[in-house]
Amino acid sequence: MFDVDREIQDARVRLCLDCGKCTVVCPVAQYDPDFNPRLIAQRRLGRRKNNSSQDATIWSCLSCHLCVERCNYRVAFPEFISALRWEARSAGYEVKCSHGGALQALMHMMARKELRQDRLGWLPQEISLSSDCDTLFFVGCAPYFDAIFSNLGLSSLESVKAALKLLNRAQVPFKLLDNERCCGRDLLLQGDRDGFLGVARANMEEFARHNVRKIITSCPECYYTLKVDWPKFLGDMGIQVWHLMEVMAPLVQKGSLKLGKLGNRITYHDPCTLGRCSGLYDEPRNVLRAVGGLELAEMEQSREKSLCCGASPWSHCGAVNRRVQERLLAQAKATGAELLVTACPKCQIHLKCAQKAGDAKIPQLDIKDMATVLVQSLD
Amino acid sequence: MESADVVVFTCNWDGLSCVEAAAQGRLCYPTSVRIVRVSCLSRVHLGLVLRAFELGADGVMLTGCEPGECHYDIDPKYIDQEYEKARALLRLMGLGAERLALARLRRGDGAEFTEQVNRFVSQLSHLWPPAAVAAVGEKQAKLPSPWDFRTEG
Repeated sequence: MFDVDREIQDARVRLCLDCGKCTVVCPVAQYDPDFNPRLIAQRRLGRRKNNSSQDATIWSCLSCHLCVERCNYRVAFPEFISALRWEARSAGYEVKCSHGGALQALMHMMARKELRQDRLGWLPQEISLSSDCDTLFFVGCAPYFDAIFSNLGLSSLESVKAALKLLNRAQVPFKLLDNERCCGRDLLLQGDRDGFLGVARANMEEFARHNVRKIITSCPECYYTLKVDWPKFLGDMGIQVWHLMEVMAPLVQKGSLKLGKLGNRITYHDPCTLGRCSGLYDEPRNVLRAVGGLELAEMEQSREKSLCCGASPWSHCGAVNRRVQERLLAQAKATGAELLVTACPKCQIHLKCAQKAGDAKIPQLDIKDMATVLVQSLD
Repeated sequence: MESADVVVFTCNWDGLSCVEAAAQGRLCYPTSVRIVRVSCLSRVHLGLVLRAFELGADGVMLTGCEPGECHYDIDPKYIDQEYEKARALLRLMGLGAERLALARLRRGDGAEFTEQVNRFVSQLSHLWPPAAVAAVGEKQAKLPSPWDFRTEG
């Protein structure tokens, strides 16, 4: 069904010069001596045709794209890893799921076409929807995250509500779907392409039924998957995909959306999928700068060099991932900021999870979602 | 009509003693009920419950010791949390929170166990087959039957 050799070719791994810059910048390789992107490439390319032995280290990659940023030939290492994971899964390798595999089970169930979800119970009355417009706000898995991670003291739905309030305030019309599915990014990253295609197709049918032509989302993972991965695997769907910050930034700049004041020193974390994958570095910063009294401090690693939140597709999470999170939080703390602002619900979950682990070494500072901070300035 | 497929996660102590008492007392419950023994209900997390539904179960029942009777003294803390989370997720999925039941049983009370499990199965038969798979007409994946090995070869 998928041609792994072709994908390896397309990922330009054969251009690898063996220089090892990927391994030097890789946050996982710094804490896990067994994980070495350069050697993974070397081992897979040097493998004989009839040898089907699997490389057990491929599962540690965070798909953070830091190696792609540093590579002279821009070898698409995450795409290469995705192909290897699909190959390993097809050969019977079982992924070590975190959270007991609950999220994977949910995603698989969401691929069922006849599913009738009841997922809009949280919607506040004051949010006005335009059911006849062709723009959809893609909520993503926030309602599910809230149920699963209720003990972490965060609410992904609050961020979604804040995003909807901002869109209402900016008079951008949108509608919501009551039977929207997961975007499938985590399944794709895990090499579960059948699962990914299942949820993607179920979503596409929903979109076609509701005549969706434009999508706005506040989750960078959904944004990248809908914009890049879906067309790649399913062909062009003729739907424009926008991130909330792409919508907000011009409105704020033109002055049609006025933000209020907050008196905090904050630092902004670039989520991998929004920054390195999608190139949206300035839009969130410009929007944050438009908030009066907000002082924006940059971390040691920011923009293209920004550190990953340390965990990826709800699997293979362990001590190494904690170290990466510790490093990111230490960098945030070192800026002197009281608040770490991130634009990704998953980054927020992973970082809060690290803070709640009870490790005294992990710096404690408040973490909030971008949209929540912006709405706070309005109140 | 075929009974609803139910997976019962039971703890090794009071929960299992009820299942054994039911067997010894020759009390009946449908053959579509599959018992999975775990050391303590605190072993059962969200992932296991959802996995049962993913594999096509119509309902999941958790049976364990009465409050204060846990062999390890910790069960209520964990299982109550996971139970509430799983119910919230089932509600969101549109499957209905009533597909998950939690029963705390007195040691060796086979009659109570069979009554609760029979009641649960009959409640599910009003809902069954699950909304998610109804239109497909068949289950996503059939749970392996304990008798499968006899028919092979």
